[in-house]
Amino acid sequence: MSISLAVSSSSSIESPQARIAVESRNLRVFYGKFMAVRDINLQVEECKITALIGPSGCGKSTVLRAFNRMNDLVPVARTEGEILFQGKNIYDPDVDAVEVRRRVGMVFQKPNPFPKSIYENIAWGARINGFKGDMDQLVEESLRGAALWDEVKDKLKQSGYSLSGGQQQRLCIARTIAVKPDIILMDEPCSALDPIATLRIEELMRELVNQYTIIIVTHNMQQAARVADYTAFFMVDDTRTGYLVEYGRSDQIFMRPKDKRTEDYITGRFG
Amino acid sequence: MAVETQQSKVGYPEGRAFERFLRWRKQLGALWGTLFFLSTLIGMVVLVVLVADIVDGAFGYVALEYRVDPESLVLDYHKNQMVSMPKTLPSEEDVVLVDGIAQRPAAIGFVGYAYYQQKADSVRVLSVDGVLPDEATVAEGRYPLARPLFLYADAKTLASKAEAALFVGEYLRRVDEVAASVGYFPAGESVRTENLAAWTRASGLSGESLPVAQGELSVTGSSTVAPITQRVADSLVADNRFVGQVQVESIGTDAGFRRFCADLGVDLVDASRPMQSVERAACLQLGRAPIEFQIANDGLPVIVSSQNEFVRELTRAQLQQIFTSATRWNEIDPSWPDQDIFRFIPGVDSGTLDFFVTALFGSSLAEQSTPVLLDILTSNISAGRLRALEAQRPLAELSKTELVERIETEVLRPQVAASWSLTDSLLRRTEIEAAAAAMPGTALIFKSWVNWEFLTSPQSSDPLHAGVRTAIFGSLLVTLVAFLLAVPLGIAAAIYLEEYSSGKSWFDRVVETNINNLAGVPSIIYGMLGLAVFVRFLGPLTSGLAFGVGDPSTANGRTIVSAGLTLGLLVLPLVIINGREAIRAVPRGIREGSFGLGATRWQTVWSHVLPNAITGILTGVILAVSRAFGETAPLIVVGASTFVVVDPNGLFAKFTSLPVQIYQWTSRPQPEFQHLAAAAIVVLLLLLVSLNALAIWLRNRYSRRVI
Ligand SMILES: Nc1ncnc2c1ncn2[C@@H]1O[C@H](COP(=O)(O)OP(=O)(O)O)[C@@H](O)[C@H]1O
Ligand SMILES: [Mg+2]
Repeated sequence: MSISLAVSSSSSIESPQARIAVESRNLRVFYGKFMAVRDINLQVEECKITALIGPSGCGKSTVLRAFNRMNDLVPVARTEGEILFQGKNIYDPDVDAVEVRRRVGMVFQKPNPFPKSIYENIAWGARINGFKGDMDQLVEESLRGAALWDEVKDKLKQSGYSLSGGQQQRLCIARTIAVKPDIILMDEPCSALDPIATLRIEELMRELVNQYTIIIVTHNMQQAARVADYTAFFMVDDTRTGYLVEYGRSDQIFMRPKDKRTEDYITGRFG
Repeated sequence: MAVETQQSKVGYPEGRAFERFLRWRKQLGALWGTLFFLSTLIGMVVLVVLVADIVDGAFGYVALEYRVDPESLVLDYHKNQMVSMPKTLPSEEDVVLVDGIAQRPAAIGFVGYAYYQQKADSVRVLSVDGVLPDEATVAEGRYPLARPLFLYADAKTLASKAEAALFVGEYLRRVDEVAASVGYFPAGESVRTENLAAWTRASGLSGESLPVAQGELSVTGSSTVAPITQRVADSLVADNRFVGQVQVESIGTDAGFRRFCADLGVDLVDASRPMQSVERAACLQLGRAPIEFQIANDGLPVIVSSQNEFVRELTRAQLQQIFTSATRWNEIDPSWPDQDIFRFIPGVDSGTLDFFVTALFGSSLAEQSTPVLLDILTSNISAGRLRALEAQRPLAELSKTELVERIETEVLRPQVAASWSLTDSLLRRTEIEAAAAAMPGTALIFKSWVNWEFLTSPQSSDPLHAGVRTAIFGSLLVTLVAFLLAVPLGIAAAIYLEEYSSGKSWFDRVVETNINNLAGVPSIIYGMLGLAVFVRFLGPLTSGLAFGVGDPSTANGRTIVSAGLTLGLLVLPLVIINGREAIRAVPRGIREGSFGLGATRWQTVWSHVLPNAITGILTGVILAVSRAFGETAPLIVVGASTFVVVDPNGLFAKFTSLPVQIYQWTSRPQPEFQHLAAAAIVVLLLLLVSLNALAIWLRNRYSRRVI
């Protein structure tokens, strides 16, 4: 395994040449009257992997889904604050959520290929987004990008459901990169997979990060430590509202946490 | 340690208590299992009873009463034909016939054998189909114009009524002689031996010298056999072998059997044909076990004058020609002289003529040739009806079976005299046969009220010809309109409610509540809605007048469109509710995956939600179509026509539907209409089952393609 803290990118969040892909400002998400997360300020660096960690129910998924306005699909959800993407608040009234999601793709916790052929799984997203190029080439390219091509090249007409869980998840990644997003959000993408499949996805993420900005939610701290360049640690307060405790380079968070709560959480987990 | 173990188990049953607990738990489980099974069983029983009940009415025996008896139709036709031939001389007196033939070389005729024998020197008997009549050929049935004659008694009378037993015993001994003197052929030695054995078995009597019979006897039946019986009775009385009276009636064989099997006052029956199984059944029903004695053979010699030099033999076909169509001898055979044929036949009321005709032409319609059938048909219906039939299809083109069918419907015109359910038909067959045999002029047939004619005929006031074609067309069209309204609207509404509505707005909440309530509204209320809105308010549109269809003076809104729209509204909630269920069941992951790729809501619905929900949506559609197809009450309110005999010619036609038709038939008091209703229910159920099967097949095919 080539990934280690040592090989993490040298550029830091504070470093002047770092380029910010997306940034949340005073983000608050409510489910009805319940405030799920409060005052999240997070700068995500381009072409880096940023991990969101924290105890269950602290709002990691909520924050992640705020980045592509997925929370809009929850009728009771309401978002306050700003998310700046390419210099624009994606929650501005004149911004179309559909456009945001096309630029900020998402991979879900449970592999969810469409009940269509492997080929169609990839071609469909491209087609609805008006892709006019060579579809076969795009499918191959995307499957190669998701390190799945060799396994499925002979059975593109078969249902996406005929694949194993890990393959399905890579198919979902392939489908996401086929529409060429700028950012890929991943919500615990490996939690439904076995360790070998998990490892493959992690390797894949390290490859993808050369082209894409990746934000990943994980409950697995080793995973965060292994793959993420940056890590954000979330906690809940007495009202069960989640908030950002500490954010920084992964080696710093895991080796020298500044906050006592981070240290407790990490050591509790590691210990 | 032991203490600890004890403590850890405190509260749980141990030892025997534990066994008891296990047993109790098992029994409780078994009890519930039994309850579940019983519930299912009750459902099954109900289903079986329902199906049995329907089938019970749809099949069974029917006693058909012909307004005209088919046999006499055939008989009368040929008799008429014979009598109306030129140079045909009828006479009741055989002697006149024989003498007439003897004097004319070109004459031909037929008489009782005894009369021929008396004049055997002046007339010559011809062979028919190569067979000459004599005792042997007649007894064996080789001679075509021959038949056996019978006397019928019954076991109980012979055993318990001495005078009857003695009379029959003497009868059987004397009959050969008597039969010959009357003009028939004796049945022969072996038949007599057999007869006497049967008589002995039944009466317990035997021996040569029987005691003198005393009492009164009543014999009825065939007028052909009556002279024999009368002469036997006379000779017995004359010889003082019988003291009392023997009454011999001639009422015909059919009526004789009917009396015999219905009235214990009749002791014996003269018969010119064997008893049929239905008649036997009727007799058994009365407690009579009929015993048959063949007493003689009837054989009619066809004779010509002995001066006739050319005819020696004839075939049946030639005989038919001679007596019904040819006028000159050389028409029969060119080698014969060009002379008029003189025919001598018995009078029209004579049984001999009937027998001759029956033997020569057969008595059933099926035995008749096509020209004869055509003639029978055309000569027995009115000129107007004939034109109408010709207009339908030229009668000359009809096949023999079609002609027989036409004669049945146009001339014989059967009516249902009585009908029975399937259960009765299977379990009480003998009783039914007896009952039918007791009804003069009826034929008992096993009828499936569901048959091709039933499916393809329009409504009719004659239950034997009423059908459901109009109703089926009506049902299909009404259901089609309902389908076209309910399915697109229902699916669209389901999509809106599940995918677009937030459920928060005032509008969404009202819709939400009402859709669910609509499904529970009684169907009759939809009927009233349809009447008010589609029939009355939108009448100008639904009557088709606005589109230039229909006659302004008669057209109204009670049309297929109105009915279809009403049913469409009725089943709309079904489509919506099932559609929503199906859409809701589409996994959230699929929707999120689609949205996550930047798909719009419409793209998500169209490409993912609908294909994955289609199975469930179609289930709702199937339910809706079935419901619309079987719905009755609203259609009656909307104004289904009670009697439609023409197929609907479009959406603005008056309508009836299968359930409405069934409803109307069930409300008629005559049992025939109950059978029609049962048959229509069978059709309705079969149509529903096949509609469903088709829909399910389509659904499975489609859903397999999607995944
Ligand atoms: N659709 C929803 N409706 C209402 N509450 C929700 C919804 N989704 C999440 N929540 C609540 O928001 C909080 C954060 O949830 P989530 O973001 O899923 O946490 P995590 O991903 O960190 O486990 C939890 O208390 C959860 O119960
Ligand atoms: Mg989560």
